[in-house]
Amino acid sequence: MSSYFGTIKRGAETVLGGLKITIEHFARATKRRTPLSAQEDTYFKQPLGLVTIQYPSEAIPTPPFSRYRLHNDAADCIACDQCARACPVQCITIKSFKATPDDIEELGTTSDGSKKKLWLEQFDIDMAKCMYCGYCTYPCPTECLTMTPVHDFSEFDRSNFIYHFGAMTKAKAAEKRAKLAKYEEEEKAKKAAAPKPAAGAARTPLAAKAAATKAEPTAAATETPAAPAADAPKPAPKLSPMMAAKMAAKKVETSEGTAAPAGEAKAADSAATPADAPKPAPKLSPMMQKKLAEAEAKRKAEGGGETNA
Amino acid sequence: MAEVLEGKKLSSYAEVGATQYVLERGLDTDVMVLNMGPQHPATHGVLRVELITDGEIVVKATPYIGYLHRCFEKHAEALEYQMTIPYTDRMDYLSAMNNEWVYCMAVEKLLKIEVPRRIEFMRVIVAELNRIASHIVAIGTYGLDIGAFTPFLHTFHDREHIMNLLEWLCGARMLYNYIWVGGVSHDFPPKFKERVAEFLKYYKPRVDEMNNLLTQNELFVQRTRGVGVLPADVAINYGCSGPMLRGSGVKWDLRRNVPYSIYPELEFDVVVPKGDLSIIGDCLSRHLVRCYEIYESIKIIEQCLDKMPEEPGFDPHKAVPKRIKPQAGEAIARGENPRGELAYYIIADGKGVKPYRVKARAPSFSNLSVLPELAKGTLISDLVAIVGSIDIVLGDVDR
Amino acid sequence: MPSVELNQWSNWLSELGVPGLLLIPAIPLVFIAVYALYAGVYGERKVSAFIQDRIGPNETGKWGLLQTIADILKLIQKEDVVPAAADKTLYVLGPIIIFVGAFAAYAVLPFGPAFIGADLNVGIFYAVSIVSIEAVGILMAGWGSNNKWSLFGAVRSVAQIVSYEIPAGLAILCGVMMAGTLSMHGITLAQSGLQADGTNNGLGILNFFIFQSPVAWLAFLIYFIASLAECNRAPFDIPEAESELVSGYFTEYGGMKFAMIFLAEYASMFMVSVIISTLFLGGWNSPLPNLGPLLLNEWTNGPIWGVFWIVTKGFFFIFVQMWVRWTLPRFRVDQLMYLCWKVLTPFAMVALVATAFWEMYVRNTM
Repeated sequence: MSSYFGTIKRGAETVLGGLKITIEHFARATKRRTPLSAQEDTYFKQPLGLVTIQYPSEAIPTPPFSRYRLHNDAADCIACDQCARACPVQCITIKSFKATPDDIEELGTTSDGSKKKLWLEQFDIDMAKCMYCGYCTYPCPTECLTMTPVHDFSEFDRSNFIYHFGAMTKAKAAEKRAKLAKYEEEEKAKKAAAPKPAAGAARTPLAAKAAATKAEPTAAATETPAAPAADAPKPAPKLSPMMAAKMAAKKVETSEGTAAPAGEAKAADSAATPADAPKPAPKLSPMMQKKLAEAEAKRKAEGGGETNA
Repeated sequence: MAEVLEGKKLSSYAEVGATQYVLERGLDTDVMVLNMGPQHPATHGVLRVELITDGEIVVKATPYIGYLHRCFEKHAEALEYQMTIPYTDRMDYLSAMNNEWVYCMAVEKLLKIEVPRRIEFMRVIVAELNRIASHIVAIGTYGLDIGAFTPFLHTFHDREHIMNLLEWLCGARMLYNYIWVGGVSHDFPPKFKERVAEFLKYYKPRVDEMNNLLTQNELFVQRTRGVGVLPADVAINYGCSGPMLRGSGVKWDLRRNVPYSIYPELEFDVVVPKGDLSIIGDCLSRHLVRCYEIYESIKIIEQCLDKMPEEPGFDPHKAVPKRIKPQAGEAIARGENPRGELAYYIIADGKGVKPYRVKARAPSFSNLSVLPELAKGTLISDLVAIVGSIDIVLGDVDR
Repeated sequence: MPSVELNQWSNWLSELGVPGLLLIPAIPLVFIAVYALYAGVYGERKVSAFIQDRIGPNETGKWGLLQTIADILKLIQKEDVVPAAADKTLYVLGPIIIFVGAFAAYAVLPFGPAFIGADLNVGIFYAVSIVSIEAVGILMAGWGSNNKWSLFGAVRSVAQIVSYEIPAGLAILCGVMMAGTLSMHGITLAQSGLQADGTNNGLGILNFFIFQSPVAWLAFLIYFIASLAECNRAPFDIPEAESELVSGYFTEYGGMKFAMIFLAEYASMFMVSVIISTLFLGGWNSPLPNLGPLLLNEWTNGPIWGVFWIVTKGFFFIFVQMWVRWTLPRFRVDQLMYLCWKVLTPFAMVALVATAFWEMYVRNTM
């Protein structure tokens, strides 16, 4: 019986409490919030009242780094393709081709001074596919691709959502491509006609420089760094003690049993191939022995996988 | 009775359960087959529930899902690790930060990366803000299902504040792409922490007002008390988690039981209903768990704002790997989503930059599986209340 | 004012012959149309908007005043669709009967002392009984739609309307007992402060029945709650529960038929507001008392003032109905029935017996 009257009493109390809250909201309907961005200091100091914002005559200002419509300054684009590669939905289509050396000046530089080497024939972004993640903007080296705070850009036709940022006309692109094709043919012909370089001579400019510097101090430089020599002792590179121990172990292994081409040594690094032949103990300091033992144990525990350097 | 029914052609959906029910009632009635179709105001998304009712009483309820399946796991096999993060956003789109976080934890485990301390605090703050926003949606739409139109609008306005804050932080209002493997995408702008503190101060009285208007209203209590009681053992057997499990009295919260990130340093309570206003395991308990979790999230954010280390010139990308090419291996990460336990199981084959397999264990999927059990013998209005209290997001159920 | 002259305008119109007789029902119909458009739909949208911190309609016309006209124009232009599998007769007749049931009660609503459609001496009884035809219309609409959800809504609605007529009727009886007559004008006159010798005691609001009996407030409250259920308004809007049944029994209706059902709901809202203000709050009498030299009661009573008062009181209760709708969640069907049979009916009976004793032994009007 008491729960019967209790329910009625609670019902009446809570109903009246609820009615009080809603009538307070009703009474506050003379005041309105102004559309402020969250960046404003007075954002939370506004009066409680009506909160509707009369879009489109007023709008909440979008913060400047909001991720909405993409924009590309094609003049700054070096056509590195990083944005197209970073996009998870592959909505960026870039078509570019090399510029011939005499056109480099026509290409110009970007606003931060980087040299442009490629003609940007096509740079299309399909905003209907874009998922507004912003991954394309991070790898852009010249920061020409940005996400702007523009969020209201509806179209009637879906094909209008493909934004074309490439600045070349079809005629110009065709002309430059033809020029490039011609230039490449000429280069090929030049190379075929040129005499073969002398044996042992440096093939690349870098190698030539190295050979030149080596020729001066020491007279006994018979091989260039570019030429691989399996028998001649390699100049000892600066390896960490760990790596030295490993190399030593591997050298012993190869000298002991099966002929180990370079590929197998590499495979022993990454894949899980337990060594068949017992490893002979190389001459190591106690510290190195301890480290090697730890590495051995760790490798065994993980089944041969190593941490990525 | 059985002889009377033998010669009659029962409806094609009258399976064992329904026939049994009709036989036991001893009346010569037939059952009605109804479709709470994919388009229905109360099913929180594209969920189809096929109801077999005897008048107003539900005899059998079968949920049909898959209307929002977007092949997340297949996409993850075709994308690099960092590129999958926007896709994880879109699974449980109401709590996007939490989804991203658990995924990033799994990849970080795979790569064995340590995340800087300031990053951990930033992640906790945005994840808890998102938890509040998600619970606001759950509570507001639950009120709408029960018939109270006004708390929905009041609470959604507060959610607007959270979305505006997060838009200022990372550029997007709902699908943030903020938590990255090894870090976050943007550092807190200047004055962001003050604004968050102001928001919490503004919001606490609004939660009290919402509770007065909705939760404590006797009509609401009568609608949800004792409805859809989920016993604790049934909840555990079905794999329920989150407020579903805590509403049944099981004190299980991954932030305390399987701690991750900096949660061990923060003081907050795991909300379990005491049974004074509600019956433990009913819809009202689950609703109360969500309401009180908002208070707990506010507490967590306040503590984080105090304890967060200030590092001028901090680079949020400093631990983010340039190229994620893990060795062969696997990793599992579990996190406490507002809806329950979200887990990712990633298998890497060591052969490239794309995972071999990503499995997402979605909380709403397991929570929804309990619906046929809860719905037997309830009225249709109760069914709506039960579906609302499970708090599913179809993006999470279907992935 | 020594005595009140009744039915001046109605009598004048009926003396005009056939055009006058057609004009008499036309006036409440026009009133319903204007009221339902403005205080009804527009008022509801604005009140709900302000409660929910929104603005509501404000684009069409100043403050959105032309919004409902735009809505009506749109609804008139819609194609009149009858679903192929629907029972055509029932489907078409349903909304008509709903509207007719709601509108027919306007015959006995007093728009001031000078105008009433039909001054029956069983006015209230007629009003309550004719409104129950709505239940038949609702059932026709729900069944004729050939939609299981509509049928649910219709069946729930009929159960609700039929059940809530009991406490409503008992509460009405309290008011009737205090007045001693079933006639609408008679009940209002009993609250006008008119004494047996023809003078007026000029007390205004204190003459109203709600202050004349210690249990009148109980009867008032019971009738208010029951009337919400009669109009299918929240918290009793389970027949049209938007989140469960999409739109309940009028899911399949569009265009003008939908507009008629909608209009019928607002019409019955005003009707019950007028009935409750007549029974307990003095009808077309002015609430202002005579304060010494300021004979406010005399100055604010009259044929035109009467229209103003009854319409104001009606609108006030409409506002309260809207206020309640946007605050409270909805009842479940069995809880609705529990409330009716186990809470309202016993309390209504208690109020009835208490009023009877009060009238017999204290006010000595019986």
